[in-house]
Amino acid sequence: MLSSIRVRYLRGDKVKYISHLDLMKTFERAIRRAHIPIAYSQGFNPHTLMVFGLPLSVGVTSEAEYADFQLNVNISPEEFSEALNKQLPSGLQILEAKVLTSRENIMKIIALASYEVVLKLPDRDEGIDIQSEIDAFINSTEIITQKEGKAGIKNIDIRPMIKACETVIADEWNVSLRLLLSAGSEANLKPELFVSTLNDKSELCAKITGIHRTGLYVIRNEKMLRPIDEEIVMST
Amino acid sequence: MTKKINDEILQSVEKPSRYTGNEWNSVVKNPDEVDIRFAFCFPDSYEIGMSHLGMKILYHLLNERKDTYCERVFAPWVDMEQKMRDNGIPLFALETQDPIKDFDFLGFTLQYEMSYTNIVNMLDLADVPIYSAMRKESDPIVCAGGPCAYNPEPLAEIADFFMMGEGEDIINEVMDVYTKCKKVKDTKEAFLKKIVNIEGIYVPAFYEVQYNSDGTIKAFNPKSPEYPSKIRKRIIKELDKTFFPEKIIVPFTGIVHDRIMLEIFRGCTRGCRFCQAGFVYRPVRERSPEKLSELANKLVQNTGYEEISLTSLSTSDYTGLAELTDNLISTMEPQKVNLSLPSLRIDSFSLDLMEKAQKVRKGGLTFAPEAGTQRLRDVINKGVTEEDLLNSVSTAFNGGWSGVKLYFMLGLPTETLEDVEGIAALGNKVVDAYMRTPKDKRGKGLNITISTSSFSPKAFTPFQWEPQDTIGKLREKQKALKAKLNSRYITYNWHDSELSLLEAAFARGDRRIGKVLVRAWEKGCKFDSWGEHFKYDKWLEAFKECGLDPAFYSNRKRSYEEIFPWDHIDVGVSKKYLMNENQKAYRAELTPNCRVNCEGCGAAVFEGGICVE
Repeated sequence: MLSSIRVRYLRGDKVKYISHLDLMKTFERAIRRAHIPIAYSQGFNPHTLMVFGLPLSVGVTSEAEYADFQLNVNISPEEFSEALNKQLPSGLQILEAKVLTSRENIMKIIALASYEVVLKLPDRDEGIDIQSEIDAFINSTEIITQKEGKAGIKNIDIRPMIKACETVIADEWNVSLRLLLSAGSEANLKPELFVSTLNDKSELCAKITGIHRTGLYVIRNEKMLRPIDEEIVMST
Repeated sequence: MTKKINDEILQSVEKPSRYTGNEWNSVVKNPDEVDIRFAFCFPDSYEIGMSHLGMKILYHLLNERKDTYCERVFAPWVDMEQKMRDNGIPLFALETQDPIKDFDFLGFTLQYEMSYTNIVNMLDLADVPIYSAMRKESDPIVCAGGPCAYNPEPLAEIADFFMMGEGEDIINEVMDVYTKCKKVKDTKEAFLKKIVNIEGIYVPAFYEVQYNSDGTIKAFNPKSPEYPSKIRKRIIKELDKTFFPEKIIVPFTGIVHDRIMLEIFRGCTRGCRFCQAGFVYRPVRERSPEKLSELANKLVQNTGYEEISLTSLSTSDYTGLAELTDNLISTMEPQKVNLSLPSLRIDSFSLDLMEKAQKVRKGGLTFAPEAGTQRLRDVINKGVTEEDLLNSVSTAFNGGWSGVKLYFMLGLPTETLEDVEGIAALGNKVVDAYMRTPKDKRGKGLNITISTSSFSPKAFTPFQWEPQDTIGKLREKQKALKAKLNSRYITYNWHDSELSLLEAAFARGDRRIGKVLVRAWEKGCKFDSWGEHFKYDKWLEAFKECGLDPAFYSNRKRSYEEIFPWDHIDVGVSKKYLMNENQKAYRAELTPNCRVNCEGCGAAVFEGGICVE
């Protein structure tokens, strides 16, 4: 039986400005160079059978990007990553690879994402207690903001989509936030919207200097798991 | 320490990956370990420049040299340019992000006259003085090459030197001289004196022009007898033996021609009288099918591209086409690499060939009849009949195609309204051909696109003496044609005639028009071929302020006695031959292609390619 391989890959600084579609094309070409026996669709316009999980905004780096590749000939995940890593441009790298056992579409099962967001606060925020501003924000019962959807701009409550927020204060002007937010097709909160809403509702005027996605998770039996293995990461 | 672009700026512009480099097969070298830093400058956006085959060849060729690091520079888009100017960031090369004002050479490729304002803008953005006379020893040497270099005069006061013809050999010869000059700390002038006698090199500062009172050229002479009075272009005699990159850069972002381009031959035997490329690239020289198959395989291995195209001026004239396409289909198809064939002549069309080419993925088909009546097609020596066209489209429709593009020109010499209306008649006949094709054979949804551009006479063609139609006349013709195209299956596109007027002015411009170029740029002109940025009124102002009239260059008929600004360049084909062809055009007399009969055009002087076979 022909298998699929799920990988976790790094999207580093050097490639963070590539769009999602261009990224997929980059993989497709690297796969061709690596002679990886990937499966193609039938019909007039054959394309490689691969699925990429949850697109990232341009400018964001990540060590938790996932993609599934359907094979035409079975090769081991080690063979797959070794061959592909030799052909990936600098900034892209396969970190882990496993044979996929379930047939679930990776785009559909993702529920959460963790981010590290680096903020810069201007001098104007001197004297404001950063921690209490953030605490007040996330402890609100509801946080209403405007989100642009396909049907136009609508009001949504983003509070339920914030699962965790840890603040690491470097100094008065530099702060890192470790966020766990809803992600995926059902509910999706982008870190940029979190920060802009935070600025709106508090006294802060934080500017994002960097966003790094640290993890993507699925929820199975009320437990948070990484999409690549059955290892239990933590319970919600 | 010069400022460089940073994340904040990249986040605020469109398509930031235009500026970040790091593409697969882009060359990384340590700039401290080379003697020569060469900035290959393409005067248009990344997406356009990265599609250019010439740059791919020369970039990889120069980087084969251990003493040279060649990097790429494209025109930053308007949003990035604003950020750079606001932040004091000078124009930089993609690979190292280093400012190009510190490089040894800035090499511009001249692909299109209306890209010249971008050249001026890029020099300014780089902090390099625009005029060569204003540059200091510390400024880079500015050189240029490419098809528009055959009439170099509009840029004569901007470029330090031009390379005429094919660059593969000449560029290495120039670099060899330069390394020696750099070691002994020669001045720029000394360096230029050392290269001026390399065949194909033109140093404009070493020549002077005198004008008649009517604006035509009185005399054009070298300032010293040690400089050549005529500069002959360079050609590569044996293409199989010359450098062709086995690795090309694979861009991250979509570019206009996002595929492997296999150059199957140079030159053209047809002699269509409007076509500059057909004359300046003579004689025809082919690559062998074996060599091409070898290159194709290596390129696919090294790039992973999903499409490969055969490029040349007239692909169906390639003598080894059957062998090559059979070969490529058998090796490319299993790798899921599509073979595309642009540039097919109508009369050599065959269903079999097209079937093969589109086997993996099916696209639209393009034909270029250029003129609407047989009489006018004969005038321009495009020996293609209506029967040929209709046979070809019928064959295509029978094979399942339903999308066809037809290219024509308006304003060709001797053109009448009858000829213009002939375009519509042809279009309608193509619709009829589709309707006559059995329903089970033809593809669904017929769409025919008729596209007309405005004829711009070019240097080194039999039509170099001809006037371009005025804008008024062109508009009249476009209107007349539109009125005749009633079919709902036909879409009509036409090219802006204002832009064509300027293109024609620069195509046959002299040194004086260079001042207009700079003035237009000062008024904000750049990215002229991009509709949203084209400022026609500013261009007209620029002409006026410089005391010149575009009509003098574009719409004026020349006499056979006139000295042209490009007469000091020798492309092989003689002026006498072109004059003769011009006369034949007026008699609607055809000239057969070189393979049928040698007409003595003059290209045989190179003793290469088809002339000696």
